[in-house]
Amino acid sequence: MNNQRLIILLLLGAYVFSPTILTWMINPDGAWYRPFIVWAIVILIAFFTQGRDKPVDSNKNPNV
Amino acid sequence: MNFELYQIALISIGYLLLVFGIAHITERGWIPDSVVHHPVTHVLSLGIFASAWAFYGVVDLAFQFGYGALAYYLGTGALFLFAPVVLAPLVELTRRYQVRSLADLLVFRYHSLGAGALVTLCMLLGILPLLALQLQAVGDTLHILIRSESSHSAGITAKEIMALGYCGILALFTILFGSNREEHKGLITAMAFESLVKVIALLAIGLLALYGVFDGFAGLELWLDRYPENLELLHTPIKGASSHTLLLIFIATAISMPHIYHMGMTQNPMVNMTRTITWAFPLFLLLMALPIFPILWAGFALDVPLPAQYFTLGVPMFFGSKSLTILAFIGGLSAATGAMVVIILSLTTMILNHWLLPALRLKPQRNIFSQLLWLRRAVIATMFLGAYLFYRSLNNDYSLTHLALLAFIETLQFLPGIAAIAYWARGNRRGLIAGIMAGTVIWAIGLLMPVMTGTDQLQLFGYMIPLGVEQWHNVALISLGINTLLFVGISVYTPQSEDELYSAELCTEDEISHPVRQALDVHSAAEITQRLSEPLGSATAEKEVDLALNNLNLSVNERRPYALRRLRDQIEANLSGLVGIHVASGIMDKHVPFRLAETRGTIDINLIENRLGQYRTHLTGMAADLNNLRLHHRKTLQELPMAICSLGHDQEILMWNSAMAKLTGIDSIEVTGSHLTALAEPWQELISNFSDSDCDRLPKQPIQLNARSHWISLHKASIEGHLATGDQDQVLLLEDVTETQLLEEELLHSERLATVGRLSAGVAHEIGNPVTGIACLAQNLQYDTDNPEVLETAKQILSQTDRVSRIVHSLVSFSHSGQHKQQEFELISLQACAAEAVNLLSLQKEKTHVIYDNLLEESLIAPGDSQRLIQVFINLLSNARDASPEQGRITIDGFIDEDKVIIEISDEGPGIAKEHLEKILEPFFTTKEPGEGTGLGLAMVYSIIEDHSGELSVDSPADVKRGIGARFTIELPREI
Repeated sequence: MNNQRLIILLLLGAYVFSPTILTWMINPDGAWYRPFIVWAIVILIAFFTQGRDKPVDSNKNPNV
Repeated sequence: MNFELYQIALISIGYLLLVFGIAHITERGWIPDSVVHHPVTHVLSLGIFASAWAFYGVVDLAFQFGYGALAYYLGTGALFLFAPVVLAPLVELTRRYQVRSLADLLVFRYHSLGAGALVTLCMLLGILPLLALQLQAVGDTLHILIRSESSHSAGITAKEIMALGYCGILALFTILFGSNREEHKGLITAMAFESLVKVIALLAIGLLALYGVFDGFAGLELWLDRYPENLELLHTPIKGASSHTLLLIFIATAISMPHIYHMGMTQNPMVNMTRTITWAFPLFLLLMALPIFPILWAGFALDVPLPAQYFTLGVPMFFGSKSLTILAFIGGLSAATGAMVVIILSLTTMILNHWLLPALRLKPQRNIFSQLLWLRRAVIATMFLGAYLFYRSLNNDYSLTHLALLAFIETLQFLPGIAAIAYWARGNRRGLIAGIMAGTVIWAIGLLMPVMTGTDQLQLFGYMIPLGVEQWHNVALISLGINTLLFVGISVYTPQSEDELYSAELCTEDEISHPVRQALDVHSAAEITQRLSEPLGSATAEKEVDLALNNLNLSVNERRPYALRRLRDQIEANLSGLVGIHVASGIMDKHVPFRLAETRGTIDINLIENRLGQYRTHLTGMAADLNNLRLHHRKTLQELPMAICSLGHDQEILMWNSAMAKLTGIDSIEVTGSHLTALAEPWQELISNFSDSDCDRLPKQPIQLNARSHWISLHKASIEGHLATGDQDQVLLLEDVTETQLLEEELLHSERLATVGRLSAGVAHEIGNPVTGIACLAQNLQYDTDNPEVLETAKQILSQTDRVSRIVHSLVSFSHSGQHKQQEFELISLQACAAEAVNLLSLQKEKTHVIYDNLLEESLIAPGDSQRLIQVFINLLSNARDASPEQGRITIDGFIDEDKVIIEISDEGPGIAKEHLEKILEPFFTTKEPGEGTGLGLAMVYSIIEDHSGELSVDSPADVKRGIGARFTIELPREI
């Protein structure tokens, strides 16, 4: 659909940064709960992006 | 710590009754809607995803794979994070076509009944280990809790009896709350409650592990420093490939597991709140995942003498907390219950829709709904029994992780088919069936068979191939790889059927696709009802058609093919919700079929426009620009001041612009999408004949509109259609040429009159000489004789020749009227002209006696030719006199209006009939008896006035109150 490009960009970003993030996440010297922190940050980002999109969402599907 | 069997039995039954009660009071409406429909409730109800395996087995997974275990949550969480993109198309399809299960979805997309039956079989095979896992978890935990009290064999027996009892209660619950057709409010609330209990239990045990066993984070860090092998355990396995395979498997489960699909898509929460779920469900999963590692480590720290998969129960038990042990047990029971109920409900729908209903024939005269209900109940009961028997046959030989992987790897086989639904329209049924079959066979040989029979290798072409759950990683990759390869390969190299293409395009609806337009052979909604009465019974048929009409906001009298097609699709969708896609499409295809032969390559313009209208707000970038361009062109055509309509090659009206609507009086909404034959006369005949004809232009076709003649010119152009078939759409332009036609007729008439005029001038000239001769001879005769009879004859001859002369003179002067020059005009008194005319007329004693009122003032002066103006007055006054009654009054009045002199001559005669008013100024038009008038008088007046740059107008009646009289008004310029 319309946000395909965004997805591709995200995937590219994920591909580029995943080694760094993964290394940081599972670094044996770091805290064991690091993956959970990253996860929580992702959820927060999702919360803010989706929350902002909501008004648009309510306008969709004018007539079926 | 130990528990009595009866204690645990009571707690379990008590808890199940509580869940049961929550479902019950929700159905009764005792729980406020704000709670039942709250997003949190829906998100929690999705929590059935985390079955007993997530509660117990994941700790074992963490033990084996370290961080790899998080894949279970991260995979699913990632899928939901991208729900608006990844899941939304599936959710939309589910909602629109009332798809009730994954098998229904695949059948809908691939239009193959065989695929439905196959998917149901594979799903059943794949899900049995998952059901056995739930029963095993419940049985094992019971066993652990009461172990110290019972002997080994007695424990097993009690465990089996408890598991059977558990199965029975769950079957009852499922039958009561999940088998009706309506939205299962009770089920959703109960499942949400279970998820809540589950997550609270798990978090509580996690906190116990962290703060009870380790004294908080600092204590945990100390312990980890002391036993670094535990931290090592976290990292080592993630470097292997298996954790990536795990991630793949777990991503797939979120859409291909029947219970997730059932709860997420068909029970509605996702439909309304895709965006909330996007973050809320991953959050739920995060909460579920947080306590895993602390519990695992606490298990090690406490030296719990249990397998890692039961550490969730073992940690509170060996820590010595009785209440938390019960809570952990309840949490596990809760997780198993939720998963089992929903899995069996969704499998029941599949079995019913894809195995039983196509094989059984329901009797339409009996209540179809109650027959379905009883069938469902029977299937639910059988499923529970089957799950129990499978669990017993496994004999507790496998860990929860093994059973879960067994189930997940089989459901992984549906992934290619599902992914193609929304994203690859080319995929076809042959590819799907071949792929799933191949994948399932590999899975069955590699995993299921070894689990059932205990074999651990297979000899093939002299090679020994290792089998069994230890090989899950290879089996998963090989089965999915071959499955995908076959699916893609066969889909690319075999053609799609028309039906399949149609469904595929419906599925990829948010793409700008080319939906094929299919023709129906029904012409009204009533006809559909009638046809459906045969398979459904008339009452059900009527109900379903009404429901679909309501869904679409259509009227019962609908006749447009486009609307009927939508109606048919809607009925099929609604029926699918009732009896499954397989049976529903079977009924519709048999009784209200699409005629495919005619529709090859016909694009459904109306549908495309409708969809673009709906998705307008979703379009961005170039798509939005293109859509704006489309709207612009459409508006241009729509508002073009020429009547335009376009026709599909099967004569369906695709466009009807506003000028067309104005010309025909038929609104665009009424006809767009309907067949040409549905048009009202006379348009239907006119347009059909022209559309069928070979000519591109058909000028001036007479038609009758509102009892008046109209002339329409038609033009036509072909729009290049599908190249392969040579079909062409048409665009027609209709032009109302009525006005031009009337003008042309008038012009012809004037031309004829002009010819007559020129002719008569010549004739008059020729007649003049002999008439003068006759007059001379008659005068001579008067002098030559005294015979009174001869004298009388001569007098008669003179009077007749005089009349001929006058007629001839009028003709000549009429025909010469255009040649007088305005430069020769002099100022004349209109009053004198009128007086002269009155004097002349007064000489005619034999005519009607009337009173002339010359009210003109002497100051009324205008430039002109006095003789010709006298002629004007004579003609107008004599006409007035002839129309007037005896002693009637004729008024000549005049005044000055700015730069014009206005003279009005009115009489008290009967006036001029309306139909004559327009014609009296034409030459040769007369209402007088033949011989009385030439019909040239007024025409001559008109031309003289025109020569004077004036205007002549007539009003009748002049006296509006009495309705009598005529008034001629002359306007002359005061200066030339």
